[in-house]
Amino acid sequence: MSCITIFSGDFCHGSSVVKEVLDRTGYKLITDNTLINEACKLSGMNPAKIESVFSAKTSIFNKFTHEKEHATAYLRLAMANMLSEHKQLFSGYMGHLVPRDISHILNVCLVADIDYRLKVANEEQGLETKEAAKMINQLDSERARWVHSLHNEEDPWSPSLYDMVIPMNKTTVKEAAVLIVEYLSKDILKPTESCQRRVADFLLSAQVEVSLAREGHSVQVMANQGNILLTINKHVLMLSRLKEELQAITTQIPGVQSVECRIGKGFHKSDIYRKFDFDIPSKVLLVDDEREFVHTLSERLALRDMGSAVAEDGESALKLIAEDQPEVIVLDLKMPGIDGIEVLRRVKASHPEVEVIVLTGHGSEADRKTCMDLGAMAYMHKPVDIDKLSRILEEANRKVHEAKQQ
Amino acid sequence: MEKKITRKEAILLVATQLFSIQGYRTTSMGEIAKAAGVADGTIFYHFKTKEELFLAVLEHFKEEIISEFSIIEENDTYKSGLEKIEALLSFYIYLANRLEDRFLLLHRHFPYTLAEDNPACWNHLEEIYNTLIGVFEQAILQGQADGSIDELPARKMAMIIFTLVDGMVRLNTYNIYHTGPLYNELITSCHRMLKK
Repeated sequence: MSCITIFSGDFCHGSSVVKEVLDRTGYKLITDNTLINEACKLSGMNPAKIESVFSAKTSIFNKFTHEKEHATAYLRLAMANMLSEHKQLFSGYMGHLVPRDISHILNVCLVADIDYRLKVANEEQGLETKEAAKMINQLDSERARWVHSLHNEEDPWSPSLYDMVIPMNKTTVKEAAVLIVEYLSKDILKPTESCQRRVADFLLSAQVEVSLAREGHSVQVMANQGNILLTINKHVLMLSRLKEELQAITTQIPGVQSVECRIGKGFHKSDIYRKFDFDIPSKVLLVDDEREFVHTLSERLALRDMGSAVAEDGESALKLIAEDQPEVIVLDLKMPGIDGIEVLRRVKASHPEVEVIVLTGHGSEADRKTCMDLGAMAYMHKPVDIDKLSRILEEANRKVHEAKQQ
Repeated sequence: MEKKITRKEAILLVATQLFSIQGYRTTSMGEIAKAAGVADGTIFYHFKTKEELFLAVLEHFKEEIISEFSIIEENDTYKSGLEKIEALLSFYIYLANRLEDRFLLLHRHFPYTLAEDNPACWNHLEEIYNTLIGVFEQAILQGQADGSIDELPARKMAMIIFTLVDGMVRLNTYNIYHTGPLYNELITSCHRMLKK
């Protein structure tokens, strides 16, 4: 007898597949909520706090130092308790709490391409494409964060995490259920003595983790037939004192044969430069007092993955340039107040590395000469061919980045 | 998720980390520019000198602290002043964890020597400590009014409580020991110290 875990992307017909599998197997359904309730009973924490483990949002009420580690430890313990029974289907985030080396548990992932999911979102909840895409993006990033926190794997749908990954855009609900049920009868899923031992070890390591979390410790726990291996991942000076404390707590737990502490990979200080993983967007500033034109242009550029900011007059353009230096500026000449030529003059004086593309409706040959003399990179007439503008913007970007590298 | 930040913010962020981890003297403007991925000219455009950049880092931290603690004040649902002290202690540790580099900056010697002949630096530090100690003082006064806290000199007790929790944070920022295992004892000790 085995168990199944199903982790499904949102809008992939996951619940229909779960229902179909339950109908065919007679397994008992366990959801994340069941697990949360169990963890509440074990810990005395309130459900909202435990549930927050699954969510990326950190509320200010989640302010207690080790609350998240605490909640995760209790969820794992609740999960380990449940594995004593067979013929269960675990649906949701919880499946990832089960160690992959417990071989009689079938781990299933349901995914689909974005077009399929958008279609399902529309059918099921009447969501418009834009709205649905935003929602899917957000839900996916929560799932990714959860998987990453447990397995250190960036891709939550990675085949290495599951026994089977079913593409729902190519499989019907029935077919998916049949595939899962067929897999269930494989020999590899027959519970053996060794996997019973693994279940017992999982339970013991969860108990150790909870005891340590209660005392405020957050370390990685592994158990092998009663022998506990603790991994310390945060650097401390008073290491021997910490080890003593961890051992003293752990040896008291029934079933623990021996305790060993080791230092994790992240123990020694990592390269501080690695922390700076933010991305400064390559910036294009569009300056034009024709409101509609400039916002449409910005949207069209966004479709080509070019982020741009908009200024509707010379004065606010100069302010934006000072505060948040763009790399490339697309500039109209005729504007009330400070006009384009003056903006160009000042930008080139203060930020010579910024590339300026002049885009004008009524410029004369004399204007062109003035602009090019002042250091403009190109001079274009409206109406503009978006392909041509994109090409020039790409060239400008390349120039800027080359200049930076020197 | 894509984080969009301005160049100025990027410079501040990188400067905070480098100043706190490597120290002020050993960090050059060129190094900050390189780590932030901006041109040398950009950094000098926003900040004329290294000292000006350091002051901006400190000012930013000051504003952050004030706004963080105002959130706690706005969500004041504590039954008594004593309970609020407990919440503040845990919030302090949480904040020091989240803004680890900035608290490390506060635990460095440099800002205090600069404050001696730089009034702006002096003011930022004074306001930071006024906020950090002030929240505890207010909670003690509140507890004395509601009868949960003993009649002790509120301002002095606030400084002692602050020193306790900040010292614990120092154990953590200097990687001497983890704060987690000490947390329960900290709460119990403060409770005993203050209760009526």
